Amino acid sequence: MSESPVTEAPVRASRRRWWHRFTTRSPLLVTIDALILGFVVGAVVIITTTASVLDAWRAVFSGWSAFPHACKITGDVVGSAYRAMFTGAVVNPQIFWHAVTTGHGWTVALTPLSETLTYAAPLIIASIGVGIAFQTGIFNIGANGQAILGGVAGAYMGSLVHLPTFIHLPLTLAAGIVGGVVVGLVPGLLKAYTGAHEVIVTLMLNYVVAAVLIFTLLSTVLQQPGQQNDISRNLEPSAQLAPLFGAASGLRVNWGLAVAALVVVFAWWFLERSSLGFDFRVTGANPQAARASGINARAVIVLVFVISGGLAGLAGIVQLAGTTHYLDGGFLIGNAGIGFTAITVSLLGRNRPVGIVWASLLFAGLGVGGRAMQAATGIPLDLATVIQSAVVLFVATPVLVQEIFRLRQTTAGEVRLATSGWGS
Amino acid sequence: MSRGDSRRVRLGTWLGTASLLAGSLTLGVGSVSAQAAAKPFKACVVTDTGGINDKSFNASAWKGMQDAHAKNKNIAVSYLSSTSSADYVPNINTFIHRGCGIIVTVGFLMDQATQQAANAHPKQKFAIVDDAPTGLKYHNVLALQYETNQAAFLGGYLAAASTHRGVVGTYGGMSFPSVTMYMNGFVAGVRYYDKVKGAAVKVLGWTPAKGNCTLAKCDGTGTFVGNFTDQTAGKTITANDFAAGADIVFPVAGSVGLGSVAAAQQAGKGHSIMWVDSNGCVSDAADCSWFIGTVAKGVEPSVRDAVLAAASGKFRGGTYLGTLRNQGTALEYGGIKVPAAVKKAIATIAKGIEAGRISVNPNSYPVK
Repeated sequence: MSESPVTEAPVRASRRRWWHRFTTRSPLLVTIDALILGFVVGAVVIITTTASVLDAWRAVFSGWSAFPHACKITGDVVGSAYRAMFTGAVVNPQIFWHAVTTGHGWTVALTPLSETLTYAAPLIIASIGVGIAFQTGIFNIGANGQAILGGVAGAYMGSLVHLPTFIHLPLTLAAGIVGGVVVGLVPGLLKAYTGAHEVIVTLMLNYVVAAVLIFTLLSTVLQQPGQQNDISRNLEPSAQLAPLFGAASGLRVNWGLAVAALVVVFAWWFLERSSLGFDFRVTGANPQAARASGINARAVIVLVFVISGGLAGLAGIVQLAGTTHYLDGGFLIGNAGIGFTAITVSLLGRNRPVGIVWASLLFAGLGVGGRAMQAATGIPLDLATVIQSAVVLFVATPVLVQEIFRLRQTTAGEVRLATSGWGS
Repeated sequence: MSRGDSRRVRLGTWLGTASLLAGSLTLGVGSVSAQAAAKPFKACVVTDTGGINDKSFNASAWKGMQDAHAKNKNIAVSYLSSTSSADYVPNINTFIHRGCGIIVTVGFLMDQATQQAANAHPKQKFAIVDDAPTGLKYHNVLALQYETNQAAFLGGYLAAASTHRGVVGTYGGMSFPSVTMYMNGFVAGVRYYDKVKGAAVKVLGWTPAKGNCTLAKCDGTGTFVGNFTDQTAGKTITANDFAAGADIVFPVAGSVGLGSVAAAQQAGKGHSIMWVDSNGCVSDAADCSWFIGTVAKGVEPSVRDAVLAAASGKFRGGTYLGTLRNQGTALEYGGIKVPAAVKKAIATIAKGIEAGRISVNPNSYPVK
């Protein structure tokens, strides 16, 4: 206050300060603007791939009188797509109001939110695992393989052992964590003791684990009886994460969400309050300084992979025990690879637990809403992937967002590039 | 910060605010438009993780739906693709909520999700492609299954009759009965040709085990890619077959077969490919001249008929078994000319298989 004399009335000054803040580049504002740009990119894709819209605009070339109509068609198509996405991922106000007034149809009214939370839970867990590694300067590109082996280990424990729920479920989740830790330890030990680059090792291990998945599914031990295809036995009911509101509710959201919440609390405490978490962050910020201050670099590297791999494995078993209850050859493969999605979610959430929760909800919502959009409008689900990718692209290039929205440069230091430090 | 700078028009910020407002307006104002006056019959398909453009079952099922729409304009068709097995249940539920008259699901991977939904919604009609659910409570599911070894037998005969070098090859995507059944029938057709013509055409890539080949169990040893996506592996396997003396190869691995086509093109004229599932000269028309034929699985007609039956109230749950007789499986000729005499012989053999006079079990014939 003291360095710049305030001449205007205090109210105006505070309003101006608020406006100044709103137009100054900050991580939150860049993320919101990136979100807007992502949806703009999505709209462009819809417009350029929808025949009715293109036809309407073609008519404009033969006469400007067609212009309002073309605008209307464009608005209708894009609007209906995004509306279907929103009502499919969050809530459909009409159906919700109907449920409120009549007391019936709550299942249908709450299904969108339930689905978004169902998809978000394992994503949150995996992303926090990746985020903790990022904060330590470690690139865990192998979260997907760790999650798959977590699912496989959990499937062994969950489908071949018979125990009461109170012990079976924790053991199954623990088996998932162990599966992830085992895969995570390979690059951890290799990096700590031989200096092998973790990006290469973790990336390649994904392929190894994908092959292990198929191999185990075709072995008669885990294969579903009566099946010759690559599909596993079902988890015992005692090893499943039950629906939060009971099986009769028809809502799939399950206790995996509670597991995710515990992981968020743990991650916050670990990074902000524990001394080991402090060592991790110091190592991430400046490895030389960390070593000089007596932090055991080897131990940190190995422990990062234990925690990161363990969380990825937990994400795998939460996905398995909470939704399908059986493994198949497509488990977390391809587009379903939450371990890969976790990398982008973690970047979007700036590697912080709370940011990751929001980013996971966004990604899950886009995926779930994309399905509703496809059913309602016929626009392919892949549009959701386009928007997700565009958002991450813009978040990763804050300078571009700053220029597009003509934001002020922050006076207090630079917004760090979310991806800085690659290979360092 | 200079005064001039602070007066810069924050165009982007305004745009952002405006677009947010516009977005919330569209969301608030828009309401679900009223249903069309003449209520269409909704037919809906949920694909497995292969997606709608897999040039295989999912694409065929979707084509069958569109064929049904072409025959009966009152049928409105829509689809949902799944990115993982976790999507099956919500996708089916989405369609149940949307009031679909029949929901078609594709592949054994959707078996459990389909059964759960069918048992929870007794009045909802389902058809599942290439799978036989066993835990159903009601008669609301039609299982579409195909005895592809019948058409593959004809394919084997055609290959044996067309080879110049006396060796043909086959390989599979993964060792599932739905895959090995093709390979088994193919080998049986070659052995049958050897027997009736006194020839000695050899088959690379599949050795049938003893016993019968059914949709539940069809064992043997053979060459497999390990997936249905790696075209490079398909190319390598095919090139190896060519190097080992073969000139016709039958890939049973979905799009991996495109690698075989590439290998044939590299090896040059005189090498050809037997395509699988859906007519290669339609799904991959550009390469038609390299196809001697296609061992087709009649997903399209069976899905079309199931949808048409449901739309006209004639749907019945149970099992549909695709055979040569009901065109649920068929040999279709490709872009390579086949002598009329061979075509005639194949037509006669097809009649024999339909009548049960000719066995499609390779163990019925001596091995040359």
